[in-house]
Amino acid sequence: MLKAQKSFRTHIGFFGRRNTGKSSLINMLTGIDRPTSGEIWVGPHAVHQMSEDEIASWRGRNVGVVFQFFQLLPMLTCAQNVMLPMDFANRYGSTREMRERALHLLDQVGIAGHADKLPSAVSGGQRQRVAIARALITRPKIVLADEPTANLDSETGGSVMELMRGLNEEHCVTFLIVTHDPAVSDYGERHIRIHDGSLREES
Amino acid sequence: MWWWIPLRSLWRNRRRTLISLAIIAFGTAISLFVLAFLDNARDQIRDVSVAEYGNLQIASPLLFDDEAEGYEYLLTPDRVELLNALLRNEPSYVASTVQLEFPGLAASGNQTQVVRLRAIEPANGLLDFGEYVVEGRELRPDDLASALVGRALADLLSLEVGDAITVTLTTVDGAYNASPLVIAGIYGFSSEQVESQVLLVPLRFGQLLLNTNGIDRVIVELDRIEATDAAAARIEAGLADAEPPLEVRTWEDLSPIYQQLSSYFDLLFGFLTLAISVLVFFIILQVLTLAFLERTREIGTLRALGTTRGEVFRLFFSESAWLAVLGSLIGILGGILLSLGFNALGIEWLPPGTVEPSVLGTRVGPLTVLLPFLVSLVATLLSALYPALQAARLRVVDALRVE
Repeated sequence: MLKAQKSFRTHIGFFGRRNTGKSSLINMLTGIDRPTSGEIWVGPHAVHQMSEDEIASWRGRNVGVVFQFFQLLPMLTCAQNVMLPMDFANRYGSTREMRERALHLLDQVGIAGHADKLPSAVSGGQRQRVAIARALITRPKIVLADEPTANLDSETGGSVMELMRGLNEEHCVTFLIVTHDPAVSDYGERHIRIHDGSLREES
Repeated sequence: MWWWIPLRSLWRNRRRTLISLAIIAFGTAISLFVLAFLDNARDQIRDVSVAEYGNLQIASPLLFDDEAEGYEYLLTPDRVELLNALLRNEPSYVASTVQLEFPGLAASGNQTQVVRLRAIEPANGLLDFGEYVVEGRELRPDDLASALVGRALADLLSLEVGDAITVTLTTVDGAYNASPLVIAGIYGFSSEQVESQVLLVPLRFGQLLLNTNGIDRVIVELDRIEATDAAAARIEAGLADAEPPLEVRTWEDLSPIYQQLSSYFDLLFGFLTLAISVLVFFIILQVLTLAFLERTREIGTLRALGTTRGEVFRLFFSESAWLAVLGSLIGILGGILLSLGFNALGIEWLPPGTVEPSVLGTRVGPLTVLLPFLVSLVATLLSALYPALQAARLRVVDALRVE
């Protein structure tokens, strides 16, 4: 059982070698993948018992996801990409209000000037910042990031991790970060190693 | 953003969107053009039929069913007067005339032809053939032993205006009768059958030849063709107690060729539209299946961000709906332009059984536009169902793994 603090301000790093199941763990926590056995509880929610659509709605409202390959929709601008989860959740006010919030977050991640550009017009690091803003837009309690720096150079990766740590404190959000890079895992308050199918907390 | 994302996706894949739109538009335009062409041809045949039969004819069922052994179907003048009183109460009634038609032989020199002598009210304005006279003059109310002859019959008997012919026939009493006639004029008509067989004589003379004061039918002109069925029903109701019975037949009942061609046109359009729709269906199905397949990862992202399967289906289906609506609208516009362009060419042809060339044309009406639009719309939306369902059914984790 993995416990986060009640304040939801934990920064947890999962690390381990490639193909040890780190991404599978994240996928199951978000309901993107299903466990073949066992149970997945996130707070009071029994993710393993939800239907596909229940999981989708729950994920849209409670979980932010940051992918290794950013996964921005290429036909939408950076701001529209950030607004997307709010639009699907359909409970965040008017389009104008949603855009204001998206611009605020883009400002927080340092790329407000690129709000109306398409993802193809910005760098990899900037795309990942857009993806982080998108993960935070619905004010989730938990953000799961799967190898968020794997496609970035070390300097950009470092700044992205700094950004996430800052947002962790500012937004009272728990970040679960999966990585195989020991340098990235150093940013976590808690470090959990995945080895041979088991979790081991390290200091 | 529901409507925005599909539009942006279409814009992003402009080439594919243009190909899809072109296919849908082409299918729609061809459907519209074919339908407009057939509708115009149907209208031409309808107009010819109304010109030949009037809007309605009222007569004894024995005449219409060709079951009479003699002339027992003839209507006496007092029955005609009663009928006229009934017709004057019909809201769409414009005019009426009477006719008496009977078989006979027309001889000129050493040539003889079997003819239908049609006794008409000269200068009545309704089916008096005045407008079809191409040589000589029309029949006048004071004419007696005069006739209008069709061009084809005039050729067969080598007749010219002013020539005399002899007609022979059997009277209503079964007696043999013969009389000379002078050709007052030659008429041209769209139907070759009418031109070669029908000899028009004044009613007074026809009754004299047949030794009767009766007529065989009352022909009615209405203010518009579309009023025919309703007027027929009202007149039929007014004649319900007539004894001996009288029957009302519309131009459509009296023109078997219209019914046959109309059914044939419906079949032709149905077949063509089906073939085009199937073609559009499969091409768009393939285009959309490939398009959605290329966007598997995008679908995975949408699902990972909290989109339900229904919402993914709605997104992709609405993208196809945009394609369907835009493609069909472009097709309608193209079809109308094609139809107008074709009309401007003024191509002529000779329909079977006619002697007057007709201009090939198209008629674009509300149904001509609506039907191809709806057919294309439905074909495209149906073709989008399978790919959109496939997109919605993807497992998120599998979709995200696609490179």
